Amino acid sequence: MKSFLLTALAVLPFTASAQNPDRINAPEASAAPSTAGAIRASARDALGDGIIKTQSLLKVNVTYQSYSPHIPWQKDSPSARRGLGVVLKDNQILVTAQMVADATYIELEQAESGQKLTAKVKAVDYEANLAVVVAESEDKAKGFFSELIPMALDSSSRIGEALSVWQIGPVGDLIVTPLRVSKVETARYFVDGSVFLVYEGNGIIRSEANSFTLPVVKGGKLAGLLLRYDSKNQSTTVLPAPIIEHFLKDTADGEYEGFPNLGVEFQLTLDEQFRDYLGMKPGDGGMYVSQVLKGMTGDKIGLKEGDIITSVNGFAIDSRGNYRDPQYGTLSVSHVVRGRAFVGDALTVTVIREGKPVTLEGQLFRKDPSQMIVSPYRFDRGPNYLLSGGLLFQELSQTYLAAFGSERQSGAVLRLARIAKNPEAFEEKGCEKIIFLSAVLPTPSAQGYERMGGQIVEEVNGTVIKDLTDLETAFKKPIDGIHIIKLGEFPHLLHIDAIAMERDNIAITTGGYRVSQLKRIE
Amino acid sequence: MKFAFFAAALFSALPWLIQAQPIDPAANVWDGVVNIDASMQVPDYREPWNGGRPAGGSGTGFLIGKNRFLTNAHVVSNATKLVLRSSNDPEPHPARIVFIAHDCDLAILEAVDSKHFEHLTPLSLGGIPKLNTEVIAVGYPIGGDRISVTRGVVSRIDFRQYSHSGVDSHLAIQVDAAINPGNSGGPVLQDGKVVGVAFQGYSGNVAQNVGYMIPVPVIQRFLKDVEDGQYDHYVDLALSDFPIENPAQRKALGLADDGIGVMVGSVEPAGAAGAALQTGDVILAIDGGAVYNNGLIKLDDELVNMNEVVERKFAGDTIQVDFLRAGKKQSASIELKRFEPYVRLGSIYDERPRYLVYAGLVFQPLERNLMDAHGIQDPLVNYIFDNFLGDKLYVERPEPVILTSVLPDEVNTFLTPYANGVVDEINGVKITRLSDVKTALAKKNGDEPFIVVKLLEVNRPLVLRRDLAESAHPRIMQKYNITENAYLGE
Repeated sequence: MKSFLLTALAVLPFTASAQNPDRINAPEASAAPSTAGAIRASARDALGDGIIKTQSLLKVNVTYQSYSPHIPWQKDSPSARRGLGVVLKDNQILVTAQMVADATYIELEQAESGQKLTAKVKAVDYEANLAVVVAESEDKAKGFFSELIPMALDSSSRIGEALSVWQIGPVGDLIVTPLRVSKVETARYFVDGSVFLVYEGNGIIRSEANSFTLPVVKGGKLAGLLLRYDSKNQSTTVLPAPIIEHFLKDTADGEYEGFPNLGVEFQLTLDEQFRDYLGMKPGDGGMYVSQVLKGMTGDKIGLKEGDIITSVNGFAIDSRGNYRDPQYGTLSVSHVVRGRAFVGDALTVTVIREGKPVTLEGQLFRKDPSQMIVSPYRFDRGPNYLLSGGLLFQELSQTYLAAFGSERQSGAVLRLARIAKNPEAFEEKGCEKIIFLSAVLPTPSAQGYERMGGQIVEEVNGTVIKDLTDLETAFKKPIDGIHIIKLGEFPHLLHIDAIAMERDNIAITTGGYRVSQLKRIE
Repeated sequence: MKFAFFAAALFSALPWLIQAQPIDPAANVWDGVVNIDASMQVPDYREPWNGGRPAGGSGTGFLIGKNRFLTNAHVVSNATKLVLRSSNDPEPHPARIVFIAHDCDLAILEAVDSKHFEHLTPLSLGGIPKLNTEVIAVGYPIGGDRISVTRGVVSRIDFRQYSHSGVDSHLAIQVDAAINPGNSGGPVLQDGKVVGVAFQGYSGNVAQNVGYMIPVPVIQRFLKDVEDGQYDHYVDLALSDFPIENPAQRKALGLADDGIGVMVGSVEPAGAAGAALQTGDVILAIDGGAVYNNGLIKLDDELVNMNEVVERKFAGDTIQVDFLRAGKKQSASIELKRFEPYVRLGSIYDERPRYLVYAGLVFQPLERNLMDAHGIQDPLVNYIFDNFLGDKLYVERPEPVILTSVLPDEVNTFLTPYANGVVDEINGVKITRLSDVKTALAKKNGDEPFIVVKLLEVNRPLVLRRDLAESAHPRIMQKYNITENAYLGE
């Protein structure tokens, strides 16, 4: 079952192995024969001591701090990530988006000299898991970048080719590990629903400091970034150059549009009886459209549930939802509409509808996650909320639900998770976001409501609540000095004294709770 | 009673001195205490067509009338054979269940041949013992042949969940006399009279020296209920009350500042109060007794949860509820009944698991026994089970049906990933209970050659060709050793 639905946000898998300060790697230049030339091309033997170095990689040190999903005015304690960045032209450094998610401080470090430079994010795409960082101050950048050599991209890799993974040792020495591409497919990147092209390979990658998001190199050019390394199975997943190219091309004009999303759920058509039922003949390809999300590309071009997609942009689709790619062979059709396509590109889809072929045409489109009623992920910005009289109202989001973890969830969390998965009823009501009462800070005005949490807010003072702004406005219009809050679940009805609520709002910011701000509505 | 917002009944807790209590063995009050040896068959909800797993247990019972022994329901649940033994008579005497009440964990047994017990004196019931007074528990704990007596004091009188069904709460009395497995069903005595039936405890890592007994009001209610020859179960208002503690809420709902009135937070449309009350109503009085804003009512000079009034009534009885709706005083007479949708959330005993198998697709109704047996992790199934009442899901589907497994065969091999789906419709027929599955499978839409099963939130139909399914069915039944196509209940 192929699914392009953006569903839950899962926590990132750390790529390579954890850093191990006790291990000192032997400074051997044991590059695989196929990559020896590559090193010479962009690396130089600086000290003449046999240590191979590269001038195209920088250490990237990131301090990050995420907002607490359940106490949204607070940030959790800061942590650090250490990885490598690839020097590109114009003093840009390429890293994965995972590296810079929720970053509070980014610094670039010369591998050998240890010279440091403060950097900032220029562009980031959490779905494609890519980011470009640049120096915060251009003046300081000049000297820092003077010795560095930008790396070019190579998108030509095919199955069976030899690549190498680069790591930097403690004294700036280059460690090269061969890697053979055994498979090219589409797989999940970082956030849920982010399915893009990957190279799969086998090879052992050693544990080093800064082993997060390592460059994968072919002939001295960048063939990809290491996305995941599974030390148990010694399997390596590479975020490949074609996706990096797409990202860089999109960022070049300063206006980042991102990758298109189709918003369609597909089912395989391998089951003979199901094929019979659908009227498919033996040997017919095509995949069954099981869901079309409102307002996304599939919906816009007129795809309907029950359609059987037989071709996309001229590529015939088989019963597994794959097409024949000229470079990679059999590959999921998602690459055609997402990985290799840009927003605004033409899209032609032929379907079998009620036994007859129909051609649908339109343009690829992207619905931004922030426009979705239940936001699938959110980085760098805190969750939106409104805290009034101790009642904490939040937007229902996958980040909020994910923070409960995977342990068996109680009735309220299960209910919220189900609403998040099936928000159609709220969309039909015209809701921009689903607002719920997430918790209550005990205050005098909220006396008796202390244990509440998890109820959808339907109406406040007679106003239907469609987003946090509605709620904020509604709280300005109490009825006879009392706020009337209608909830979707038990106990359905709350009343709060308007003046007491204002008094408590002051106490919340200055008193024992020391809440820095009563709302974040961005 | 069982709703989440159920406050404890309050009793005065004055520190009495421990009263020494004369125990006179010569009175022979314990002769009527018998050991119950139960053989049982535990139903198998994973392989519902199987007979189940044999098990055995031992408990205690006591004579309360002519050939009538009171014990716990859990001692004799799922029993295939029951044997009574008295302390001074090694002979086993076959017995059978006369009445069993799983919702209050009580049962009445009779000896098949009554004459062995005719010479014994029945025990008589006392009242609710005071806190800090001494009681003794009598029984056959840990399987011994000889009677055991332990002594302790009454340490708390409270509403508590009865773990046998897992969903019912009634009055229970906590004692610190050692109550061990095997004590279950035995009498707890004070001054020679029964003040409770020992029924549950805590394992040592939760609390120590804590045992619970079913107090006399619960026993008497059971005895009265069965007077007409059948057990009709507890009745229920089926509403959740929300305490009115907030001054703004009190004012908005139009209440005086006298502490009277509790808000209706939700009400089950199919329950006893479904027609009369609605969310936002304020209950002022039940049967003339004022209801306080925390849901308590004064009964026999004690403040207890208002549901205790209902606890003491029977199916068909009525209560008078005075309430405030939109500031106006109203009154309604509510006929009490059992709230059926609630039952499947608790453990079920003495019933054969229901199921239907067709072409390797196993359909079973959603109930707690099923959830426990299958350990289902599917979020939709868990959501439905956890929110069955809260989201009123029972209104649309009184008995959700789960496709619990697909027994692999070439006819259904592509359908195996859909196990644990919730069945929405089959052949266009909406599935609201297990029996619908049978009707729907038999339904033929003209010469339509397919059987089409739709699962909730699965956006593709599961399709079987009827001819292939029909021919595969006997083969699958034989391969997987299933003798009956279905058991849909009696």
